[in-house]
Amino acid sequence: MNILLCCAAGMSTSLLVTKMEDYAKEQGLECRIWAVSANEVNDHVDDADVLLLGPQVRYLLPKMKKIGEEKGIPVDLINSVHYGLIKGDEVVKFAKSLIVS
Amino acid sequence: MSKINVFLEEKMMPVAGKIAAQRHLQALRDGIILAMPLIIIGSLFLILGFLPIPGYNEWMASIFGELWLTKLTYPVTATFDIMALVATFGIAYRLAEHYKVDPLSAGAISLSAFILATPYFTMFTPAGAEAAIEVTGVLPIALLGSKGLFVGILIAILSTEIFRYIIQKGLVIRMPAGVPPSVSKSFVALFPAAIVIIVVWLLRLIIEVTPFESLHNIVGQLLQEPLSVFGTTLIGAIVYVLLVHLLWVCGLHGAAIIGGIMGPIMLAATDENRLALQAGTEIPNIVNAQFFDIFIFMGGSGATLMFAIMMLIFAKSQQSKQLGKLAIGPGIFNINEPIVFGAPIVMNPILMIPFILAPVVMVISTFVLMHIGFAPKTTGVAVPWTTPPIIGGILAAGGNWRGGMMQAINLVIAFAIYYPFFKVWDKQNLQLEIGTESDKEN
Repeated sequence: MNILLCCAAGMSTSLLVTKMEDYAKEQGLECRIWAVSANEVNDHVDDADVLLLGPQVRYLLPKMKKIGEEKGIPVDLINSVHYGLIKGDEVVKFAKSLIVS
Repeated sequence: MSKINVFLEEKMMPVAGKIAAQRHLQALRDGIILAMPLIIIGSLFLILGFLPIPGYNEWMASIFGELWLTKLTYPVTATFDIMALVATFGIAYRLAEHYKVDPLSAGAISLSAFILATPYFTMFTPAGAEAAIEVTGVLPIALLGSKGLFVGILIAILSTEIFRYIIQKGLVIRMPAGVPPSVSKSFVALFPAAIVIIVVWLLRLIIEVTPFESLHNIVGQLLQEPLSVFGTTLIGAIVYVLLVHLLWVCGLHGAAIIGGIMGPIMLAATDENRLALQAGTEIPNIVNAQFFDIFIFMGGSGATLMFAIMMLIFAKSQQSKQLGKLAIGPGIFNINEPIVFGAPIVMNPILMIPFILAPVVMVISTFVLMHIGFAPKTTGVAVPWTTPPIIGGILAAGGNWRGGMMQAINLVIAFAIYYPFFKVWDKQNLQLEIGTESDKEN
């Protein structure tokens, strides 16, 4: 499972990456999780199974959804409470649920 | 929801969303970023060239010779002084990417168009001469840097719009079937590129007969100067931080959104300071990119570093304590999404008050103290916004410790403003925790 995260500079989403990786390891999930800035999404989206946006760039959702449709991958916002409290487990579960459905 | 929240949610959000998603502003923001790493590297050489230590000049000259500064600042010219070139390419590239036309071609064409809009001569006054003479066969390097930034932005947008319009209309040279695809692709950009060049060429010819003489003069006098003059006043700075923080209170990345508009103005203001430093004249702009990144957004937007420290030291509730532990690490590097979304600040009637008020007061204190000369103005050194406070202030002031002192003063101000609100918020959390505890006992 390849999870791509995106925010304005890719800085705060990278906080989440470590927590998500920890949870994935615990669960024995094969995951690649990485964070990029909004303008780098185009270069990375081909490797991703799902694209998640930080809540602070939710204005980018329509644009990113369009990219997701072209690539056939789900795109959604990360819940702002999970984001703020850096709940890696919840975000991995959310990503999984998006890919399955 | 309170009235303020309704207003923010219903009035501000849609407008902010539109501005943020506007394709030209998005390309502008993402394109200018291309120049930033270069400028940060150039800043290293700038700091070393102008360390405010008595006798430093003489000491360096005694080791490396009289021309040490000229030689040391070669990289400054190759980084700062080409920011308009790099930004032009970057903006055209990002805009073309948005339109799904070849970004590399669009970038190259816009570079050509930018040079075409720039005079190929400079005025030079030889030593002892009365009047300046025209030197031909040169590109004035000042116009490739911050002075040409706005021309670069406009040219990048104009040339890419023409480029994509013609391609999207299908007005391209088509090769007969059988010609290899890479060969026919090389012809696709030819016709639109020619149109771009002809349009900008005609523009230049027309402008040359007006009193303005060059596009750089028109854009400078009618756009760049008025915007810079307003943007670098105290009022301009207050308006800017108010907007940024109102957006953050809605949960939107305020700096990224307003940055599209303010970015070029602030970058140009930073560079004016750098040019003054190198020329040995008085540093003109108190307000510039570093003014906000280093002296106001300490711990992130809202100057939340002190709030994170309060949570760590003074919190009574478990929730506040936990958040403090989570927030302090990134907070030192001026990243505060855990606070903004975790406390949360977003739509929180208590915490939004210091979150907006503290930066505004800090703008005023920094502006006043720099104005009276108590704290040094920033010297044009581009310090990455993730540089921890105190170190950041010293570097932004060109190695002057009083820059760190200015940051320390602002931290005290932020502490005083946040503390009462922190107490109320922490008490609320504690009451909730006691409530749920007693629920369990029942």
